Amino acid sequence: MTAGQTTIVTPSIRRATRGSLFWILAVAGVLAVAVIALLLRGLTGSGGGETLSATNAAPGGSMAVAEVLKQQGVSVVETHTLASTRAAAGSPTSTTLLIFDPDGHLDAASLGAATGLSDNVVLVSPTFRQLRAVLPVVAQAGKADATLTAGCSVGAATKAGSVSGGGTAYRLVGDAADHALCFASGNDAYSLVQVQHANATITVLGLQNALTNEYVAQRGNAALALNLLGADPKLVWYLPSTADEAAAIPTIAELTPPWVSPVALLAFCVVIAAAFWRGRRLGPLVIENLPVTVRASETMEGRARLYQRSSARLHALDSLRIGSIDRLGVACGLPRSATVDDVAAAVAGLIAADPNRIMGILVDSIPANDRELIRLSDELLRLEQAVSDAVKA
Amino acid sequence: MALSGRFVLLVALGIVPIVLLGDSAVLGGWLLLVLVVGAIDVSLAGSPRAITIARDLPERVRLGETVESTLYLSNNGRRTVRGLVRDGWQPSAGASPGRRRLDLPTGERRAVRTTLTPFRRGERRAAEVTVRAFGPLGLVARQATLSCPGVIRVLPPFHSRKHLPSRLARLRELDGRTAVMIRGQGTEFDSLREYVRGDDVRSIDWRATARRNDLVVRTWRPERDRRVVIVIDSGRTSAARIVNEPRLDTAFESSLLLAALATRAGDRVDLVVYDRRVRGRVQGATGADLLSRMVNVMAPIDPELIEMDWSVVPELVRSVTSHRSLVVLMTSIDAPGASRGLLTVLPQLTRRHTVVVASVTDPSVLAATIDRSDRDSVYLAAAAERARLDVSRVAAAIRQLGADVVTGAPAELPPALADRYLALKAAGRL
Repeated sequence: MTAGQTTIVTPSIRRATRGSLFWILAVAGVLAVAVIALLLRGLTGSGGGETLSATNAAPGGSMAVAEVLKQQGVSVVETHTLASTRAAAGSPTSTTLLIFDPDGHLDAASLGAATGLSDNVVLVSPTFRQLRAVLPVVAQAGKADATLTAGCSVGAATKAGSVSGGGTAYRLVGDAADHALCFASGNDAYSLVQVQHANATITVLGLQNALTNEYVAQRGNAALALNLLGADPKLVWYLPSTADEAAAIPTIAELTPPWVSPVALLAFCVVIAAAFWRGRRLGPLVIENLPVTVRASETMEGRARLYQRSSARLHALDSLRIGSIDRLGVACGLPRSATVDDVAAAVAGLIAADPNRIMGILVDSIPANDRELIRLSDELLRLEQAVSDAVKA
Repeated sequence: MALSGRFVLLVALGIVPIVLLGDSAVLGGWLLLVLVVGAIDVSLAGSPRAITIARDLPERVRLGETVESTLYLSNNGRRTVRGLVRDGWQPSAGASPGRRRLDLPTGERRAVRTTLTPFRRGERRAAEVTVRAFGPLGLVARQATLSCPGVIRVLPPFHSRKHLPSRLARLRELDGRTAVMIRGQGTEFDSLREYVRGDDVRSIDWRATARRNDLVVRTWRPERDRRVVIVIDSGRTSAARIVNEPRLDTAFESSLLLAALATRAGDRVDLVVYDRRVRGRVQGATGADLLSRMVNVMAPIDPELIEMDWSVVPELVRSVTSHRSLVVLMTSIDAPGASRGLLTVLPQLTRRHTVVVASVTDPSVLAATIDRSDRDSVYLAAAAERARLDVSRVAAAIRQLGADVVTGAPAELPPALADRYLALKAAGRL
């Protein structure tokens, strides 16, 4: 009996912790850095990088314009739902409303309600459906030129002089009593269309870039943006979001019983626990070196495939013949030194066959295809059988 | 730490309060409850670290036989250890059962028995014992692996010993000691005895008969105290399996039968297992000690995937004995190219010794030459004929160099080699 110096292989919790202390600290450090970075990003705001957002300091945002307006005493409020817009908007006469909804979150009715909140509405790059809903007299007219000059009587436009173009151009398609068309791209296309509509001034602005942080400092972009948006003491910067969409459709959470999500979470926990239950090994794997397994007949099979692939019929047949001649010589009682001719003559004499036929089988025939090879191999077998029968008799 | 199925079930039971109360806060509460219960359970479990282990294990076992390995576990801790224990044997040790229940009160000792039926020759090891101790509720367990090494040597099976009685009877016949009245076939004069009816009249010693006025016959006995040197090739080619048995194992079987026979016949047997270095050597052992030392040396040897170095073999034989002896080379006869090393050193051996080359032949080759049923099998038959031709050419070359060749399928080679030994002994060629 080998007696009991039992050492414990499994490390204790303290030893395991000490061993992996570096990794625990490293992971904790990385997590801490990630959390700090996330917090910092959250503090500096930027509203998630939304295009034309008044709190987005990225090139695509419009924080510059909003900040300058704030310094000039305009109260700028960014909203994302119709309800908050309604709450933020003061009296229609003292409020400018900017609506930018490239994803079409608002339906026609909501858009109509929104435009009704103010006397001075700026629609930035409205889509076809939005124009149909609010201002059917204006339509989209393709892309605007790269540089545009005012050429109209709207105050903001004349102060700007020339602006960097791009964006969508618009054209007037119906009769509008009081309208102004600025920044022509030719072919009746304009980048700023101002229409009096139901006691309100609606400005359709295709020059989306003029408001962005990236381009606001170029040419007269800043003058256009500030004058257009800073006319009233209050500016509501409305960027519709998914919250505005189809509020009537209930969510899945509202349709299902309240215990469904906790049960799903519980199922997840059960799966995790089951994984630990089945996955924990009872001790480490035991290692064993296994011997190689080499079948001795592999070389033979490989050689057979080589014969077959290269169609070495004669070669294959000759191998068979050598074996047969050997056995036939022994059966006929010839010495090992006997030649093929001796064997063929002895065989022919023994079974009373034509010596030429025997020579053909044993030496002369050349197989042209596989069928002949098989036939000749069968002939060899039959010959051996006949000789052994004759010898027995 | 390890969880049980009960713990998983307990977590899953949380569905009842969640559905009944319909509140998502219940989930957190339930999970907390489960965690607390689990923590209490594991803190009440016995410590597997407080167990000491002793192992009781036979030193060796013949392949195919079954032995029992016993672990004695003593609990030195303060709590009863209830749970599972696993003895970590290598897979080919054939341990059963793999895991067992354990109920080990504090201060007591329990035996855990595992039966071993190894299915591979060599040294089989058990490194560690793992104990998993569950708490009173059976939810969570503590687990520790304790080092308790054990090793058992699995000896070659020596199946060919069934051929031994018949060969020993033949040996007695040679000796002239048998009940059958035949003339002893040896070459050494043994003694004179009275003629008994049935004795060969040719062995009557007329001179002695004249002296004693009674018919007297001479008895002969085979030479004794000859040397037999067995050299086993453990190189690359010995790894090849024929009828699912490596050539090396067949060589071991053959050498064991030959050694058993030769040591009874009064000859001295030495064994060397060699590829590029000496893998095993048995020298100067006789009687029962010889066989036990041989199987002990053979047990852990596996074929090496390197080419056999034949050039050293004559020197090796000389280092074993300087006398004329029977040198048996257990190797494989394949292709002329592969046997060149053997053929170049054979003359050095045959000049001083009687040499027998023993090789396993593949019965599937013979079967393949006969089957000509379709195209594939005709090509296979051609390749098989070619292989047989190669073997017969090498065998002829070996005979030409003055050595003897014994070939046979794995089951037939050991008795064939024993018969060849008896024939050589009868002919007085040792």
